[in-house]
Amino acid sequence: MIDHSDHLSMRPLDSVTSKQRVAYGLAFFILFVALWSWATFGGHVSKTFLANPLTMVQEGYDLLVKQGFVFDIGMTIWRVVGGFALAAIIAVPLGVLMGAYKPIEAFLEPFVSFARYLPASAFIPLLILWAGIGELQKLLVIFIGSVFQVILMVAVTVGATRRDLVEAAYTLGASDRGIIRRVLLPSSAPEIAEILRLVLGWAWTYVIVAELIGSSSGIGHMITDSQALLNTGQIIFGIIVIGLIGLLSDFMFKAFNAWLFPWRLA
Amino acid sequence: MTVLRIEQVSRTFPARHGNAPTRALEPTDLTIGNNDFVTILGPSGCGKSTLLRIVAGLDRPTSGRVTLDGREVTGPGADRGMVFQSYTLFPWLTVRENIAFGLRERGVPEAERNKVADAFIRQVGLAGFENHWPKQLSGGMQQRTAIARALANDPKILLLDEPFGALDNQTRALMQEMLLGIWERDQKTVLFVTHDIEEAIFLGSRVIVMSARPGRIKAEIAVDLPHPRSYKIKTTPEFVQLKERLVEEIRTEALKVAEHA
Repeated sequence: MIDHSDHLSMRPLDSVTSKQRVAYGLAFFILFVALWSWATFGGHVSKTFLANPLTMVQEGYDLLVKQGFVFDIGMTIWRVVGGFALAAIIAVPLGVLMGAYKPIEAFLEPFVSFARYLPASAFIPLLILWAGIGELQKLLVIFIGSVFQVILMVAVTVGATRRDLVEAAYTLGASDRGIIRRVLLPSSAPEIAEILRLVLGWAWTYVIVAELIGSSSGIGHMITDSQALLNTGQIIFGIIVIGLIGLLSDFMFKAFNAWLFPWRLA
Repeated sequence: MTVLRIEQVSRTFPARHGNAPTRALEPTDLTIGNNDFVTILGPSGCGKSTLLRIVAGLDRPTSGRVTLDGREVTGPGADRGMVFQSYTLFPWLTVRENIAFGLRERGVPEAERNKVADAFIRQVGLAGFENHWPKQLSGGMQQRTAIARALANDPKILLLDEPFGALDNQTRALMQEMLLGIWERDQKTVLFVTHDIEEAIFLGSRVIVMSARPGRIKAEIAVDLPHPRSYKIKTTPEFVQLKERLVEEIRTEALKVAEHA
């Protein structure tokens, strides 16, 4: 008999209850804030370099209520969503085609693999030259950062479709188009949704970099401004807001996927 | 009238990484007539699945040809329904949608294909499970759905590749009776591959015994047991006699494989 009475004992791959999961997750946040408080309130770190949690909350309130930070948040979200949607619209069909048709894959895969390693942030000076410092430039940074990743990952997913399902569909009279529309797409759809969720997370890091340079709005812009004023409270608040939005969009994406693909959870 | 002709069909898998080419199937002839239930019996590695895949059009013969009603098989098609050993239901479709897959591909309107699907759902005893996902079904239920899916397409010939191979013995016996019941009622042309001797006799009107390495037809044995057959037939002297004979045939082949392994 295995004894499960001791709640603190851990065994490999043993599951936790959902209550425990929430409690453990919260515990780390509390630990994190406690360490931060100890470092700042205890005087172990200079105020100039790191604001304490209370100052951060005050600065955040000030930002939201008096300085119109909500508009900056809105701008940043629109850039991420816009650039990411643009990338997805082009990358998903291309990835599906590459996964389904090996000649197309052989044609595009080497270039896309190369382009994937080009850092999006390094394109910023070039994009400013091409597209100015307007919204298009910001969208293009996100686009370049996401599009090649999505293409490759979607191609791999579609290419890994179970062969026996494809064969079964053929023996049921499916045409080549039917195979793509009714086997390859539905079988890879949940994976593609997961890929988009993952890459959306990366897109958030690109947008901030794009906003640090040559921008007059957005969370990244606020952070550069605050740096000039040595306002670490605002910087940290900005970073935390990005984290919270990321967490929220992740939750929404997960819930949406679960709703879209009930057969996976059945 | 359905006639499937397998004429001098052979299959050699090309050499790979310095290994010699593998001859999976020697030139083979076999004719299957209307409403025939033919079982192909052989040890693993005798090329029986290769032969079935060639008939299905999922594999190409190295030589020879397969014709169905005079038309040469060049690829897979709805006229040859197939049930695989692995579970191949589409996980994103419900039982009803899986069974209606081929009808939908042909452009049959939804109301009509649901009617056809529901009739087959009843026939394989899955009433009440129409809207279940494959994940929620047992292995036996999944294979029953797969059989219904192949039958709903109304193929000229039904090809089954060890469809009950992954099921436990009790479920397997029930599935055999169900399949035989459908055949006795609806008169379908069936080609059934198995390594289970009892299954081959119980289901088949003819048992084709295949030899191993290289795969070729070794013997053909007619099963003159009356229809409808129930599970009780498995203990009759006639059945046992046939079984003894096939056990000997298969045993020599299995020994050959074991020696070469």
